[in-house]
Amino acid sequence: MSNTTQVGETASLACTINGAAFAVEVDPRRTLSDVIREDAGLTGTHLGCEHGVCGACTILVDGEPARSCLMLGVQANGHDITTIEGLANGDELHPIQQAMHESHGFQCAFCSPGFLMSTVALLAENPSPTRAEIREELSGNICRCTGYESIIKGVETAVELLAGNEPEQTGQTGQTGQTGQESAQ
Amino acid sequence: MTSTDHTQTSGLGFVGQSVKRVEDDRLLRGHGSYVADVTPEGVLHAHFVRSTVAHANIARIDVAAARRAPGVVKVITGAEMKELTNPFPPFMMLPNMYTPLYWALSDDKVRLVGDPVAIIVAESRYLAEDAAQLVEIDYEPLTPVASISDAFNSSKDQLWEKADGNVLFDNTDTFGDIDSVFADADRIVTERFSCQRQSNQPMETRGTVVEVDPESQHLTITNATQSSHALRWIIAALTGKQSTATSLKSFVTNKERRTNLLAGLKAFVDEHSEDLAKADNAGAVSQFKKDKSFPLHLNRISANLAGKTDYPTVVAQDIGGGFGAKGSIAREDIAVAVAAIELGRSVKWIEDRVENLIDGGQAREEDLTVSIALDNDGTFRGLKVDLIMDQGAYPGFPIGAAFITQVMKVMYPGSYKWDAFQVTTKVVCTNKGKYIAYRGPWANETWVRERIIDIAARALRMSPTDLRLKNMIGEADMPTEMITGPTLDVTMSTRKCLERLVYEMDVPAFEAKRAAAAEEGRVLGLGFACFHEAAPGPPNYMDAINPGSGAASDEKARTVVQADGSVKIYTPQMPHGQSHETTYAQIAADELGVNIDDIELIWGNTDKTNFSAIGTGGSRGGPIGGGSVKYGTRELRKLIAAKAADMLEASVDDIEITGGNIHVAGVPSRGLSFAEVAQAKVGESAPGATEAFEATVNYRGKGDGGWSCAAHACVVEVDLDTGLVSIPRYVVVEDCGPIINPAIVDGQVRGGVAQGIGAVLYEGLSYDADANIQTTTYMDYLVPTAMEIPEIDIVHLETLSPGENDFRGVGEGGMIGAPAALTNAIEDALASRGARVTKQYLPPTTILEMAGVIDPDPNSDR
Repeated sequence: MSNTTQVGETASLACTINGAAFAVEVDPRRTLSDVIREDAGLTGTHLGCEHGVCGACTILVDGEPARSCLMLGVQANGHDITTIEGLANGDELHPIQQAMHESHGFQCAFCSPGFLMSTVALLAENPSPTRAEIREELSGNICRCTGYESIIKGVETAVELLAGNEPEQTGQTGQTGQTGQESAQ
Repeated sequence: MTSTDHTQTSGLGFVGQSVKRVEDDRLLRGHGSYVADVTPEGVLHAHFVRSTVAHANIARIDVAAARRAPGVVKVITGAEMKELTNPFPPFMMLPNMYTPLYWALSDDKVRLVGDPVAIIVAESRYLAEDAAQLVEIDYEPLTPVASISDAFNSSKDQLWEKADGNVLFDNTDTFGDIDSVFADADRIVTERFSCQRQSNQPMETRGTVVEVDPESQHLTITNATQSSHALRWIIAALTGKQSTATSLKSFVTNKERRTNLLAGLKAFVDEHSEDLAKADNAGAVSQFKKDKSFPLHLNRISANLAGKTDYPTVVAQDIGGGFGAKGSIAREDIAVAVAAIELGRSVKWIEDRVENLIDGGQAREEDLTVSIALDNDGTFRGLKVDLIMDQGAYPGFPIGAAFITQVMKVMYPGSYKWDAFQVTTKVVCTNKGKYIAYRGPWANETWVRERIIDIAARALRMSPTDLRLKNMIGEADMPTEMITGPTLDVTMSTRKCLERLVYEMDVPAFEAKRAAAAEEGRVLGLGFACFHEAAPGPPNYMDAINPGSGAASDEKARTVVQADGSVKIYTPQMPHGQSHETTYAQIAADELGVNIDDIELIWGNTDKTNFSAIGTGGSRGGPIGGGSVKYGTRELRKLIAAKAADMLEASVDDIEITGGNIHVAGVPSRGLSFAEVAQAKVGESAPGATEAFEATVNYRGKGDGGWSCAAHACVVEVDLDTGLVSIPRYVVVEDCGPIINPAIVDGQVRGGVAQGIGAVLYEGLSYDADANIQTTTYMDYLVPTAMEIPEIDIVHLETLSPGENDFRGVGEGGMIGAPAALTNAIEDALASRGARVTKQYLPPTTILEMAGVIDPDPNSDR
């Protein structure tokens, strides 16, 4: 416990979330992820481990990826927060969301908010990463369902979409996936 | 390619196409509704006080200070919980097995670090966790049972008083004349294998939200469950405990209740009479001999169910993965429901990751001594397995050691011919987390069989693939059956998978690569493994596991055309990543002649869906759930066509439906919409009818097959400086019959392989000598990331079965094949250094020990 606050005392938090002003009185020990999920009601940010490894709770703080489970709510004071709910433009999916859909990126999708926010940050920094760079950059996010190949394909598809190119038709997630008929050699 | 090697419906409809996921729009926007997202007005939050020691009697527990703590509304101790609930009963009783009874919370004794001893309910989770610090517990330590060898050590204290030591099951099954086959064979190869404890680790932990209706006290339970109906019944059975007399009085005096319950039971018995007739009570007799209180508790549970007029409603929407873990009904599920009942208020519990690693479900810890008897020409003669399974402290419910050991028993022989087979199965208890089903729960039967075959091949100086193919059952042998009973038809196509894989891997080319790499000081290996799995398997598969258990394996989808013409399908499946909304829409759209968007799938609400004992698990979503959707919508189409034929004054045989247009063949321009036909139909019904057509078909699979098969192979490179293993090539040839959605099948295969790779190279739960768990975070238990999982090539064979083709499952296979293929490849890489892989878990230090680079650690326990 801090020397300056007692249990029951609150602190003021004012920030923007997905472009909208947000202010709340919070318990100083409250995590940012709980503030986002419970106080702001934005449950798209998920909690997978609450110790900073799985990456499901990844958000953008002033455009930089951050683990919202490792931040206190009050640390967001004065900052711009972007969550998964801030990606789509109305009915229109963000190109990275669209690309993940095209590529059958996710299964249970519990990890997807973290992967999507990490990908936003990755492609902002490096708009045309190599496959090895994608793997390394996304190694801070854990997915238990997919074996990652479809997610990596999704990032590659997002690169194409963001560059204004039509992505190649992804009939199957893997380039090497073959049907019986196709694979007669 | 053979003539059977094609997609049945590809190009003719939605089935067979990689239709994009219906689920995605909601989930990718962050608009999913997972259990943690459900926060009813005024909900209270639960936190469990858990044991800090592995094995002890509780001398004293004092929760007075916790009860006075800020925000705390309720504290229930183990002793109080015992008064309020019935114990978990044994689910599958086997002859010679004792299954301990246990309650939602522990009262007088703790059996693992993390054993829940009290539940604290407060206004926030923060306050509940604060209060937990105020609970005082005095423990009287007992000797910890931290390993399989501890479990056989009679100087260690017993976990369960009514057991014989810490061994709960010891049983031998023999098929064929095992002694003479072993005496007669040219040679016998024996090895002892051990597999480390692993954990399912879905990215969403467990969780439950119990809402209480203030008027009726009816419970609505949102829960991350793979099995909503089982959860509903078990919560009804174990909570609201009342005396048998009170229950019976309620049952006798409530005629409507009595009539409904008896009618439901009669319907179930009638529908499953053949299965139920096969069941015997030998397991129950064994249980009763050990535990005389068992019938009393069973009577109380039965009377409780009979006397209750109101069972909970279980609902669930999005679920963040399970891999078997959420098929378990947890002690916490019961405790939270009881807290809500006692308070008359809604209570929420979301497990944290540390709790999940401690007791959210563990699996695979087994020692297996395997002997293969074979002739010098490589002919397999006999197989013997001696299994010891470490089930941990509390039995998994409903699926635990009882069920899984019996599936292993049936599947050890794999796709090969044997003259005789014998398995001895022992189940022990230790002070560890509970052993439950984890994707391909029986997978170690494949691991040890495929390992011993490689070891035997090396002894005979034969190629491991030649040795496999020499002994593998092929189409020429069919119809036939496994030595353990289940019938095999052409869907058991492991031979075709392996033949194709041998071609894909081009072994001579690999050997040239290996030699070239060796010149550079690099070490490569190649390993194969193959298996078949019941997906769903023939009807006699369930009989081979345990007679009568087929009664739980069927399922009913309810298919409906609404008054407005929209189509709704109600499934008891519990999707948690398998994309049911997409695949079932594909199946239904093809049957009904409508588009994907015209289908709405409803799941997760026990008031709206038919009973299923299992829900989603065991690769059943495609075959069983999908089968009931397929045949249900086929019946539904007949009803629609009949009505439309009347309206169009045509023969029903001439009715076609395309793109939602119901018309006479050849004249689509004069067709009717679903809405028009539905309106006409409801016009004949009583006013206010909302459903125009309805069809429900019960499905459980059919025929002599229903197998899915695969052969896996990988190339590994072992770095002798670091002990790291990389996988430059991984290929799966799989055959799950006609594919509904190739992209979804690919995802299932790759995800399973990733977990199998994790099992071998990264994941191991670890306990110290006092049974303290050491792996309680993701910094200790290493779930592989995108850096560790390689690209995985997949070849689909689509062997058709005789007659109408039904779908076959594909959820488990990736995980079944991968540990075997990978460990075989690693041994192949290090064989010239004399290495033999006998452990499944091969972290870098073990690799370097096997390679002779470093000396073995004398203190290593795994």
